[in-house]
Amino acid sequence: MIRDPYRLRRRSLLTGAAAAATLAAAAACGDDGPAGTADDPIEISFEWWGDENRAGITKEAVDLFMSKNEGIKVQTNFADFPTYWEGLTGRMASRDLPDVFQMDYSRLRQFGSSGMLLPLEGVVKTDDFREGFLDTAKLDGQLVAVPIAGNTLGLIYRADLFDAHGVAAPAPGYSWDEYGADITTLTPQMGEGKWGGGDWCGQYHFMELWLRQQGGSFYTEDGKALNFEAAQLVEWWGTSAGLYEAGMVPPVETTIEWVEGGLVQDKLASEIGWDNFMPSFAPPVEELGGTLALAAPPSLDPSNLGLYLKPSMQLVISGATEQAEAAAKLVDFLLGDPEAIAILGTNRGVPATNTGLENVEIDANTQGVLDYEESVAQYLTTPPPAPPSATGAIEVKFGEIYQQVQYGEMSAQEAADLFFTEAETLLAAEQ
Amino acid sequence: MSASPSTTAPPAAGEAGAPTAREKRGAAKRRTPPARRGERLVGYTFMTPWIIGSLVFTVGPMLWSLYLSFTDYHLVLGGEWIGLANYTAMFDDPMFGRAVKVTLLYVLLAVPLKLIASLAVAMLLTQSRRGIGFYRAAFYMPSLIAMSVGIAIVWKVLFAQGGPQDQIMSWFGWDGGGFIGNPDVSILMLVLLSIWTFGAPMVIFMAGLLQVPDELHEAAEVDGASKWHRFVHITIPMLSPVIFFNVLMETVHAFQLFGPAFIIGGTAGGPAWSTLFYTVRIYALAFVDLRMGYASAWAWMLVLAVGVVTLIMFRAAKNLVYYAGEDNR
Repeated sequence: MIRDPYRLRRRSLLTGAAAAATLAAAAACGDDGPAGTADDPIEISFEWWGDENRAGITKEAVDLFMSKNEGIKVQTNFADFPTYWEGLTGRMASRDLPDVFQMDYSRLRQFGSSGMLLPLEGVVKTDDFREGFLDTAKLDGQLVAVPIAGNTLGLIYRADLFDAHGVAAPAPGYSWDEYGADITTLTPQMGEGKWGGGDWCGQYHFMELWLRQQGGSFYTEDGKALNFEAAQLVEWWGTSAGLYEAGMVPPVETTIEWVEGGLVQDKLASEIGWDNFMPSFAPPVEELGGTLALAAPPSLDPSNLGLYLKPSMQLVISGATEQAEAAAKLVDFLLGDPEAIAILGTNRGVPATNTGLENVEIDANTQGVLDYEESVAQYLTTPPPAPPSATGAIEVKFGEIYQQVQYGEMSAQEAADLFFTEAETLLAAEQ
Repeated sequence: MSASPSTTAPPAAGEAGAPTAREKRGAAKRRTPPARRGERLVGYTFMTPWIIGSLVFTVGPMLWSLYLSFTDYHLVLGGEWIGLANYTAMFDDPMFGRAVKVTLLYVLLAVPLKLIASLAVAMLLTQSRRGIGFYRAAFYMPSLIAMSVGIAIVWKVLFAQGGPQDQIMSWFGWDGGGFIGNPDVSILMLVLLSIWTFGAPMVIFMAGLLQVPDELHEAAEVDGASKWHRFVHITIPMLSPVIFFNVLMETVHAFQLFGPAFIIGGTAGGPAWSTLFYTVRIYALAFVDLRMGYASAWAWMLVLAVGVVTLIMFRAAKNLVYYAGEDNR
């Protein structure tokens, strides 16, 4: 072998450089972690879903938290609901979840059952929650989330339009058929491009309500299967079919482009939805010269509205967090600090803590929600157990497949069969 | 043949004696002189970051996904080896046929239209006119931005109900509304987006067109050949290797379309699954349904399909593509 001294030197130089780089990298790993002082703060991340408006006030509250806790720096991020979950799902696979993040009841099992969430008993304050709120924060008996606020389903409607067009305010216990008749009265009077109500059939939450009104449920108690028949799904999709064909509810070609709710755009006179949405819909509707009100959703059985108190949103701490203490501090602060509560207001719903309820500013619309919840309190029944992990995917599929029916690409029967095939595959995938 | 002397005579001569020359070179390579070996080591050392990068970020994940495709891996719950079950399940999956149909339709529409458009514009842009540089840049511009999120969003607005497309088309009696909400035509939005961004094949066509020797055109013109005849009998054959390259690249790209489809149609491939591209479905299977194993099997099926299509094209090209200088064909 011929050795060229010049080359050899260059090679050893390279080896040396590589070794130096490795050492430097190793040294960087040897940091003892932040001290939690103003100069070397602990960093935690906090993410939620919502709009700009929510982002503004949430950042304000977080800034207040940081000024009160100098050693903690909070990185915030937000996205809209579908994007938020798509992102988190991917990050869940790589165990890269934010330290604190906003949780939805429908996703609690998906995240909680795989040890992604920190058990919160003794970690955060739990003594101040309003009655019944912590029930839906537990997964198989273990507390893994804390509720920010609660909500329940209702009918949000334009009181002014109902009044002007001679439709009586819906009273608890009125039927789906009566609601359909109201829509049929309203739509023709409202003019081109406006409708008396939205098509409710694409939302699995509403079908769950309808099933509960018959004493049923969407999932079986153990959450491993659907608890209804394809024929029932066909029947459910039939509840708005007549209105849809007659053009009494907006066609899918139109709604597919909506990036805002129909009420806010002044295109709908009513919509079934979560009651805590009403106060955030109300200001834009007031600007249009309208007034919103809440009523119980239509029912099959006047004595059973199928309602239950659901946490509208929850806060959770990642099981992989290295800063559980700081994360818990942030959770306690957001739920229990009077100043923070004053900033956050009722954007996420009426607060779930007593301190929250005492310190939040209750405007007329929020009072409307409180009054509504009180008016249906006698109808609230036991919440269903946290739905299976696949529920997020099933929810998406439910809407997707109903769209086929709306477009006339499939009959309701074909679509229902397809939904069952798809849902069963999804549920089987997690057994 | 008349073409060979004028174009690439020296390489042609080299190619003619290729078999023996190549063998000799191959034999020489096996006995590398030691000095060369040191040089090679240095070369590899400099390449290390890229080698590591491609192993960690490309080859590794690919092998991992190949493994996953034989498991029922759930993004959260993990999974077990299930052999070929994912691959057989695909053929019972009602969504598989839909996704394949949408993707094939797109490939069949977008690839030829895009190539015709890019060749036509390339022919205009190879003329020597004043300010031609400006036009070349202007026609290339859309390709720089087209695959961005921003353009997909602009597209959504253009094709919305009551948007520019709807308005203009309704002057001519169209009553189908915006393409966005109409499952019969929604795929055309994506085809148009693809056609509009013909920059890359256009540049390649331009380079190819400039290689076509003027003598051939001049000779044909003297013989009285019309413009059309010259295009069909001179330009197309001389350009055929470039055409083949573009067809191949564009087809492979078209099979992989994801970004714009995802932004315009979402994971559901709306409206009514009319933009449910194969890749979009893979994404939904993996990140909405969390069925990573099954999604991986879908992904490998796509690799296989694109591989087969490419192979068929190479076979077909043997008879269709004319390489100047390869007189033996």
